[in-house]
Amino acid sequence: MPRFDNAYVLDVMSDDHPGIVAAVTNAVEGLGGNIDSCSQTVLGGYFTLIMIVSLPEAIEAEELAARVRGAESLGSEYQVVARRAVPHAASAPRVETDRFVITAFGQDQPGIVRRFSQYLASKDINIVDLYGDRKGEEFVLIGQVQVPKRWDIRMLQADLEQMGQELGFTVKLQHENIFVATNQLRLTQSPQG
Amino acid sequence: MLRTDEILSTIEMLHAEHLDVRAVTLAINVDDCAAPNVEHLCRKLSGKITSRAQRLVEICDRIGVKYGIPVTNKRIAISPVSTILAGHGRSAAVQVAKTLDRAAFDCRVDFVGGFSALVHKGISAGDEVVMNSLPDVLAQTHRVCASVNLASRRAGINMDAVHQMGHIIKRIAEATTAQRGFGCAKLVVFANIPEDNPFMAGAYMGSGEPEAAVNIGVSGPGVVGSALKRRIAIEPNLTLGDLAEEIKITSFRVTRVGELIGREVAAELGVAFGIVDLSLAPTPTVGDSIGEIIETLGLACVGAPGSTAAVALLNDAVKKGGLFASSSVGGLSGAFIPVSEDGTLARAAGKGQLVLEKLEAMTSVCSVGLDMIAVPGDTPAETLSAIIADEMAIGVINNKTTAVRIIPVPGAKAGEVVDFGGLFGSTPILEVRNSGASDVFVRRGGRIPAPLQSLGN
Repeated sequence: MPRFDNAYVLDVMSDDHPGIVAAVTNAVEGLGGNIDSCSQTVLGGYFTLIMIVSLPEAIEAEELAARVRGAESLGSEYQVVARRAVPHAASAPRVETDRFVITAFGQDQPGIVRRFSQYLASKDINIVDLYGDRKGEEFVLIGQVQVPKRWDIRMLQADLEQMGQELGFTVKLQHENIFVATNQLRLTQSPQG
Repeated sequence: MLRTDEILSTIEMLHAEHLDVRAVTLAINVDDCAAPNVEHLCRKLSGKITSRAQRLVEICDRIGVKYGIPVTNKRIAISPVSTILAGHGRSAAVQVAKTLDRAAFDCRVDFVGGFSALVHKGISAGDEVVMNSLPDVLAQTHRVCASVNLASRRAGINMDAVHQMGHIIKRIAEATTAQRGFGCAKLVVFANIPEDNPFMAGAYMGSGEPEAAVNIGVSGPGVVGSALKRRIAIEPNLTLGDLAEEIKITSFRVTRVGELIGREVAAELGVAFGIVDLSLAPTPTVGDSIGEIIETLGLACVGAPGSTAAVALLNDAVKKGGLFASSSVGGLSGAFIPVSEDGTLARAAGKGQLVLEKLEAMTSVCSVGLDMIAVPGDTPAETLSAIIADEMAIGVINNKTTAVRIIPVPGAKAGEVVDFGGLFGSTPILEVRNSGASDVFVRRGGRIPAPLQSLGN
């Protein structure tokens, strides 16, 4: 829940260096705003940050973006996009789903992410986290996905394995509990969950 | 949210190191199948087992697919048949065994355990029937596994029963001569038999257990062996303490997998979840070997001085990791050293690097005992009994489970190789030194009294 009524989604991209988050949050604070949630990642030397911020007074989204751009530090250029956040968008569940992890390994070639993501989209499977990395000639793709409960997992696995064979990739679709059980101290979801 | 490195390390464990769930065993109490008429008894027994277990294999396979982890063996264990056989004779025992064999076939499980008798303090009429029918039962059935508890911490060692079992094991071997005495591979004699062991041939459902329960055996030694090799490749100078830590972490992870799958199978079957057994059960497959782990720890061959210490390290680390992973640990929980089922152990035995006496020493710190040991067919029954008595003594004195699964291969001499096929593997016939020198001791019979509970040095 945002602290103030006027919520915005703010997206910042830059080359990576110390001080970006400090500069961006300084700009938000200058507007009397609050940071309600944020996530950042660095990939290939580039920094990206997404935030939900809320302000006590409504302003144009572009004005917020301009204030953040103006906070640029160390001479680097920020690319900033801001828009009004619709509060209910994140919480509206579309269909009942279960969490799975898709992993694919094989020789890199153009079109891997497209092929898999198109398949997932065709099955109404939502990607909530995506990781891809090229190491040498090999490409690794890991997606954490929400699979509608109406699907038979064996059918999805068969489709993905077939696609993997065509691309020369090893593909697995496994319930996330196996990764929780083997890595984390928290309890897994109940068997029926 | 899961981290990428967590997902990658699990994927490596699952696919590169062949993590599996080694055994899902559905334990069922069959005491209420007792009936004065044996046909009636068999109908009740068959009906109860198939109604409880007919979905076991399908459920295990489906849950295995969901997690991407195969459940390698699905099995059934029942409460000791000696209870329902009281008042019946040997022919009824064979009929009951054939009923169990058929029920296991119908449920598509590979083994049903619980053709068992508990005689650590004395032999009841039902126990007598079970013991004396073993040669016929194990020769005439494929899937039935038997166990006899001969000793316990509280009762001592029933040497009359130990003496009898030496003769019975010889008769089983003779009854299965065409299969090179293979019937003996389906019989385990125990000290301190656990009530919830999921591993064959010793699985049965003990007293104090619920009406039905799912017990799980975790993955094999291959996963632990691979984890150790990977760590040593990165850091060659790791100490034994560091390696114990690596075993502990791997054991934690495989135990969590076992419990996750076991609880889900139990929930779908509508029965209680029993325990996770932490035992690492090897197979003849290269890389799935306790012997190989011992060699990875730094011994040139298993059987060399240091082997007992290495098994102790492994066994203890497996328990520590597993106990942190699950509050439902039970069964045997340690490291198995079944010679024919472990390619590295069998090879070392063939080269004379691993001898019976060293195996016995190793069993004092491992989870079971002398397991899948092939000996010459002319080994006297009393010598077999004396080998069993030694193993029982280790269990009774050290307050642990020990067991013997020994096969006197008819017509075979020490050094010959015998192949039992499949998961049972192949092994050289081990030399039994001082064969025939224990007759008077064994024939005295009686009971070796229960040991002190204090002054434990």
